[in-house]
Amino acid sequence: MAGLKIENITKRFGETDVLKGVSLDIADGEFLSLVGPSGCGKSTLLRIIAGLEEQSSGEIYIGGAPVAGRRAADRNLSMVFQSYALYPHLSVAENIAVPLKMRRLSPLQRLPVLGRFMPGMRHQAAEIGTEITHAAKMLEIAHLLDRKPGQLSGGQRQRVALGRALVRDPTAFLLDEPLSNLDAKLRVQTRAEIAQLHRRLEATFIYVTHDQVEAMTMSDRIAVMMGGRILQCAAPDVVYDDPDTIEVAEFIGSPKINIVPVEVAETGEICLLDRKLDLLAQGRGKGVMSLGLRPEALRLAGEDAPIKGHVVHSENLGAELFVQIDAAGLGHPLTFRAAPRDRQALALGAPVGLAFDAAQALLFGADGLRVRDVRHHLPTQAEVA
Amino acid sequence: MALAETTLPKPTASAASQERRAAWFLTAPALALMVLILLVPVVIAGVLSFTNYSLGNSGFDWVGIKNYDRLFTRSTYEKMFIATFTYVVTVVPISVGLGLGAALLINSLGRFREIYKTIYFLPVMATLLAMAIAWEFMLHPTIGMVNRTLEMGCGTFVESLWPFMAESCAGRFPVWLGDKRYAIWVISFIGIWQGFGFNMVLYLAGLTSVHRELYHAAEMDGAKSAWERFRLVTWPALGPTTVFVVTISCIRAFQVFDTIEAFWPQGGGPNKSTYVMMFAIFEKGVQQNLIGIGSAITMLFLVFVMFLTLIQRWLVERKVHYG
Amino acid sequence: MTRDWWKHLILILGVIVVIAPFYMMVSYSFKSPGEIDRGEGGFFGRQEMMVDERCVKLRDPSRDDIAAAMDRFPGQTDAAIRTALVAEAEADCSMRPVVFNYSKAFTEAPLLRYLLNGVIVTASIFLIQVVVALPAAYALAKLKFWGRETVFGLVLFCLLIPVHAIALPLYIMLTKLGLTNSYAALVVPWTISVFGIFLMRQFFMTVPDDLIDAARMDGMSELAIVWRVMLPTAVPALMAFAIFSVVAHWNDYFWPRIVISGNRDLFTPPLGLREFKGDADGSFFGPMMATATVIVTPLIVAFLIAQKRFIEGITLSGMK
Repeated sequence: MAGLKIENITKRFGETDVLKGVSLDIADGEFLSLVGPSGCGKSTLLRIIAGLEEQSSGEIYIGGAPVAGRRAADRNLSMVFQSYALYPHLSVAENIAVPLKMRRLSPLQRLPVLGRFMPGMRHQAAEIGTEITHAAKMLEIAHLLDRKPGQLSGGQRQRVALGRALVRDPTAFLLDEPLSNLDAKLRVQTRAEIAQLHRRLEATFIYVTHDQVEAMTMSDRIAVMMGGRILQCAAPDVVYDDPDTIEVAEFIGSPKINIVPVEVAETGEICLLDRKLDLLAQGRGKGVMSLGLRPEALRLAGEDAPIKGHVVHSENLGAELFVQIDAAGLGHPLTFRAAPRDRQALALGAPVGLAFDAAQALLFGADGLRVRDVRHHLPTQAEVA
Repeated sequence: MALAETTLPKPTASAASQERRAAWFLTAPALALMVLILLVPVVIAGVLSFTNYSLGNSGFDWVGIKNYDRLFTRSTYEKMFIATFTYVVTVVPISVGLGLGAALLINSLGRFREIYKTIYFLPVMATLLAMAIAWEFMLHPTIGMVNRTLEMGCGTFVESLWPFMAESCAGRFPVWLGDKRYAIWVISFIGIWQGFGFNMVLYLAGLTSVHRELYHAAEMDGAKSAWERFRLVTWPALGPTTVFVVTISCIRAFQVFDTIEAFWPQGGGPNKSTYVMMFAIFEKGVQQNLIGIGSAITMLFLVFVMFLTLIQRWLVERKVHYG
Repeated sequence: MTRDWWKHLILILGVIVVIAPFYMMVSYSFKSPGEIDRGEGGFFGRQEMMVDERCVKLRDPSRDDIAAAMDRFPGQTDAAIRTALVAEAEADCSMRPVVFNYSKAFTEAPLLRYLLNGVIVTASIFLIQVVVALPAAYALAKLKFWGRETVFGLVLFCLLIPVHAIALPLYIMLTKLGLTNSYAALVVPWTISVFGIFLMRQFFMTVPDDLIDAARMDGMSELAIVWRVMLPTAVPALMAFAIFSVVAHWNDYFWPRIVISGNRDLFTPPLGLREFKGDADGSFFGPMMATATVIVTPLIVAFLIAQKRFIEGITLSGMK
């Protein structure tokens, strides 16, 4: 087992740049998710790591050694595919055995019928058999070993694919959207199981998904990719609470973060709907910026609230309530998380005032980058002078 | 719907009978023709194969299994079986193999795929009889393109590499169609030439259904050589295609006739070396009016073809179906 | 491209073998007998004027001709006039080999008639096949009736019987009916296409029931549903089947060979070519290859225009 290092990888398909210089350090035993909307290059990056595709430039190191020119089969990585890619003509046991046979048996021993009579075959076969049973037990698919993939359910196929990946103890596991073909309930369950498997194997996992919930719940770190770049790579709570860019803030979190335009004065004072906020962004000059407000950062407030509007839609999830509020002067409704006890006050059409704690507001510049040097209280007159 | 059936039995019943009547009305022509054109002839052939009937005779005698007995004892028919099976056994594996090979090569190319595909498919489209005549000219012993091309190899290194060339250059080049040693192989060659494009197209269609991720999985699993990936992914995935291609090639090969009739209108080639079953049916049954023996060959032919198709259906349902 | 060079090498070798007879056929149809004999002249031949010997022989001057030509050649001997007349004939009978070959192809035998027969036969076969198979396929796919499984079982069984294989009993039946040497003989055995029924049934299975129910609500009869609702939805499948059927019957030689004897007016193109070959002597290679080219060309051209559809149609049988 060893870490991976990805250095300035680029990839061009004809005229389009799919990857525009991606660098990443993945520690030994880490669970790293590559998350982003479809077409962001995350799958391409995974396949480049696997060796299934060749990068246009850049280098990959596995366990400190560069793997340029080394074939996928020689990188000692294993991969779980989106479609599971099980061999339809082989039974579950045979499917799991393939990577072991390919690596341990000589071409002669792999001959269809004759192979059985080659020297040392009996011992090898027995050894492979025990390893398959071991893997099958770990994944609770021991009772399916004789079946063909066509006879399995989606969840079972997924386990077989995992079994084939883990049976040979690779340097790292690459998982390409392994849950996207499962139904919602099974996805939640399998999510937990994969996370457990990771803890148990203590192996490096690189997990590609477009579902930010999967990434948030399973990973040690998340790399958010968009347009062929990694925008931010950090622990899930950091990515959520302290995003580097407006895209990251918008991609991570459900319901989506509210973005409202604010005006910044020469002095650094920030105004939302012509109302001064308890925030100061100095040295940025005059202009329009964006303020990101998570649904849970908003709270109900009275007459004096900075944002006023009325309820246009509400979704009751039982434990919490997401309410959409059409605020005067803002282009689109804001989503606000309320406690169920406030439901009475949030009937459709009811007037609502919203306030927020400036410390929880995220300020982004016109270029979409996060503005971090913000002060959270209005300066006194003396300070301005 | 169920409710309607129970509460309103009358109208639904009449609707059902109406549907039944319409259905029989629609199937009747097809059914009648099927019986008349496909089933009745099989019965007729079966019956006549036990007689000595001839067209023009008012009656016939039952001769028992004499016709079949003749088929298995006379040397003419021994030659017929040898020629037919030699042809089938040569043409089927080679045309299937070439079809698969061409499909794999073409499928792995980035460019010019369509051109190769089109050209290899041309013989399938062309009137076989016309092409047979073209081949006859190609194989003409003196002015044919084949021997002319071979003659160019005389006096070069080819002669020392290939004993056949040395012999031919010293003496003369084969007369191909007139030589009983070559005739059946020439016929087989033309059969392969005509048929492999068809198999190639079927294989190309089969290849598009192979999931790309399977190749990547095989690569990750350590299948490094193209051959290993072929064995692990491609070949099993082409199983159903192969069963189909082999069966249809067999049935087509059994029916070879055009080339043989074009080259040797009488007698089925030098020393009857290309006297295949279809030609025998034509010659005995139609030309010589020996309906009994012709029918017996017909029955045997049907048995072969049905047997092949049944094997195919059995294989498709049992083995190669992955579900 | 550079890595694939060996693949191209193999495939190009294959192309040469595949193309060779086509090349030769077309090339010979351009060349004079002499060029064919000596194997020279490249692909198109040199297209030098050649003399049609038969034409000259036909115009061999008789005594009357010589007498009639006296005025034009005053004061010459009969022998000299004769030579002059032969020279004239030769001049009139000389033409480019390509013109010679193709004009011979159409004049020595009624090639146009053969082509017309081919069109009549293939078109009638296809039309009758559709008229018979489509309603049956619809009934088998969409109507519930007692005996449906049996009928479909029969269809599956009949798929096992190649029509060529039962040619002999069919021939006997047609002879008994006195139908040999007629268009009917060429068409009748092919009127039922079990494969067509099977194929269209599989296709109709995929048509939603709602469409048929809607048509019934509109008051259409079952027969009207077949022609006005099912037929339009089945056009792509029918196109493929049309190609399958037309190619098979345009090229068919075995069956016409059996039921048509002697009567040139009924010859299909392959039969015509066969007869041409039967009475051709060595010098007729050119016209014969011209005939072959004419017969092969329609399908090849159609194929080149609509390749995808053709490949689909011919490999239809592979779709199940």
